[in-house]
Amino acid sequence: MRMIQWIRNYIQQIGPRLKALPGNILSSFKRRGQALKALLADMKQHPKATKTMLFSALVMGLGQIRNKQYYKAIFFFGFLFVYLVVEFATSSYIGSLAEVAAFPDDFGIIYVRDYGGLFVRGLWGFITLGELVVFDFYRGGNIRLQDNVIAWRSADVSNVLLGQGIIVVVLLALLLSVYIANVVDAYKVGKRVEAGEEPETFASFRKRAFDDYFAYIIIIPAGILIMFLTLIPFLYSFLIAFTNYTTQIQSGAQLIRWVGFENFGLYLFQSDWLQFFGNVFGWTILWAIMSSVTVYSIGFFQAMVVESRYIKYKKLYRLIMILPWAIPGLVSLLVFRNVFASNAGLANQLLIEFGVLEQVKTFLSSVGLLGQSSEIGVILWYTEPANGALTKLLIILVNLWMGSPYFMLLITGILGTIPAELYEAADIDGATDTQKFTYVTWPWVLRATMPVIITTFTFNFNNFGAIYFLTGGGPGYALAQIPESLRVTGAMPGQTDILISWIYKIAFANNPARYNLASTYSIVVFLIVGLFAIYNLSKVKGFWEED
Amino acid sequence: METYFIQQRIKHTSLWIFNHLVLLVNLFLVLTPLLWMVIASFSPGKLLTGVKLPFDMLRALFRFDMAGVAEGFQSFTANLTLEQYDYLFTYRGTTDQALPDYWEAFSVSLYVAILNTILVVILSSLVGFAFSRYKFIGKKRVLLTFMGLQMFPAFMGMVALFMLFRQFGFLNNPTALTLIYVTGAIPYNTFIIRGFMRNIPKSLDEAAAIDGANNLQIMTKIIIPLAVPIMGFVAVNAFMAPWMDYILPSIIMPQVNTLAVWLFRLSDPLGSVYSPLAFMAGALFIAVPIMIVQVYMQRFVVYGLTAGADKG
Repeated sequence: MRMIQWIRNYIQQIGPRLKALPGNILSSFKRRGQALKALLADMKQHPKATKTMLFSALVMGLGQIRNKQYYKAIFFFGFLFVYLVVEFATSSYIGSLAEVAAFPDDFGIIYVRDYGGLFVRGLWGFITLGELVVFDFYRGGNIRLQDNVIAWRSADVSNVLLGQGIIVVVLLALLLSVYIANVVDAYKVGKRVEAGEEPETFASFRKRAFDDYFAYIIIIPAGILIMFLTLIPFLYSFLIAFTNYTTQIQSGAQLIRWVGFENFGLYLFQSDWLQFFGNVFGWTILWAIMSSVTVYSIGFFQAMVVESRYIKYKKLYRLIMILPWAIPGLVSLLVFRNVFASNAGLANQLLIEFGVLEQVKTFLSSVGLLGQSSEIGVILWYTEPANGALTKLLIILVNLWMGSPYFMLLITGILGTIPAELYEAADIDGATDTQKFTYVTWPWVLRATMPVIITTFTFNFNNFGAIYFLTGGGPGYALAQIPESLRVTGAMPGQTDILISWIYKIAFANNPARYNLASTYSIVVFLIVGLFAIYNLSKVKGFWEED
Repeated sequence: METYFIQQRIKHTSLWIFNHLVLLVNLFLVLTPLLWMVIASFSPGKLLTGVKLPFDMLRALFRFDMAGVAEGFQSFTANLTLEQYDYLFTYRGTTDQALPDYWEAFSVSLYVAILNTILVVILSSLVGFAFSRYKFIGKKRVLLTFMGLQMFPAFMGMVALFMLFRQFGFLNNPTALTLIYVTGAIPYNTFIIRGFMRNIPKSLDEAAAIDGANNLQIMTKIIIPLAVPIMGFVAVNAFMAPWMDYILPSIIMPQVNTLAVWLFRLSDPLGSVYSPLAFMAGALFIAVPIMIVQVYMQRFVVYGLTAGADKG
């Protein structure tokens, strides 16, 4: 009941925020408009500083020369200079003039594609994803798959162009931010110069720079790593959702194309795909809820039992009971895959050895978990399409085996933090054990563990390993269950696949690998989980506090 | 009065029985798969059918037939062998390898773990220090954004990383793999370290600044030494993390095995080196040290719940 109440509170908290959102956006625009107006007024009052700013806007560093801050001018111009040098060193705009004259019709593409520098060519690749493929007639000859002597005679490889394009876009964004800093600096210092102050000299700047920019300096290495290994891959995989990129597109012979929101339309709103998406999504939600609730409640129960006054040798028992938590998850999952193997797996062997195999099979059939035909001897735990429900239950139980000790540990720790006075007060009021649990223990533990419950939920929503290593998403759907239009696509989920493991199958395990579809679904998962997680993180006490 | 005590007595006894019963079932469920794993790793042959469990012995035990127990025990132990370990530690995929596959995979994983520890500790302490001590534009939003970006399913990033690495020739390179781990670990660990460093009073910094220390000295001489406990926590986590990661190395290093990849290949029925019993041996061999570290780390479970969040 408390859980339901808590969820209701949660929704109540989100509701007003959502309602206030349009208003907030509007007022933030208004604020920005006002700030712009104020800036324009300020610029009118400082004509000289405005002129300096325009100088810097024209060429980075020029305004700084007007401000007589030559060291800054060198820095800003140097930054621009590096970009220009790279651009021209990697191009041959001038040397190519004669050739361009020979093929005036192809003027644009020749200049950009064949002789453009890193940045120009990168942007061209990003926008077009390539224009020429094998056997195309171009500049008096045919395009080849790969020409190591004359680079431009090679066919365009779209995915490489997309990657280079994204790197170039990110580098240009970096240039843009330095450019903005340059303009702002020119204006600010310009105002001071206009007021008759001396601009800061290099000596004094150097003295304070190490202190003032220390934070930025020590962040740079991490920043570079994050830019190349988080941001750029993220952009790449995000953008794939708006292309037709699958391994059916043969690199060099075909080109990847931008298709806008076509993938979202096809895969989210076309009824056959939608039906499977619905199946998988429903099971994902059920799995995330069931796995979190079971590990939490059984972990709680274990903690209560081990901590009860009837148990001696608590430490020993606790040590044994946390073993499943201490074993690496990958190992446990792969071992359990073998435990439930149909041939000579531990589960079937135990059932046979104790002589209860038939009874268990009858029981499971009667509650609707087992659907396999009676001729098959042992229980097929995760390979038989008719046993889908059993496999789902199995995954939840294995996850319980692996996950409950963590909650036992956590809750044992929290039980120790409950002040003894609360129980004493309850004793004085004549509370029974049950009452003590309902009114003291449970609320206390729930409040302390709420953040962990939410993290567990989001973790399980994306708990790829629990599915992939245990059942591999199996059992598959029976052929009759798959709509005809999808039978040839080779991207079908198994019955126990959750969204994330289905995405993996779509992107890696099947032929053709549909990167665009995988990316589309990734965006859906991201929107659900990412926003949920960010919202929760932002509610962590003290996170937003400025200090 | 008498009945009250009897009632109490019954209540306590039944609770005692109940608790111990639950405990017993629990221990049985926890230990059975583990014992099976141990027995399997000492069984002969290639397939699971080679595992012979001591059911005869147990049946004799229930009949109090001591001779039967001894006999069952003998036939059980007679079946045990070190074959799997022998295979595991000597198997070479190609004959010119310096090390057996298992040890080669182990050394790759060890290298990744050590490098990961060093880099994660250095980089996240730097960023954590910056975030706990300085104000700069959009600092919260930056941290939050990167933590949020990591919610994007990692595989999709892997497609991109695979392409990028192939283009720059970084495939099959453990150092490049480690850099991905490091990058992934920075936001969370920054969050943790920042939370710890915020609780170190700023008056210490100010005192040092008055004595003429610059920022670098304040960081290395005062804050970092005080933050050693949390850095130890981060270091142990960073060391443990890469060992059992399968997906990323399997994509980024198609020709070099890490330990997790090698174990997975041993247990994969569709693979070329399928050998479930050798997998049990290899998994046990690596799981035991990891378990010891984890058991030691259990004291941090409750700590990890509040780390980085509360302000003292």
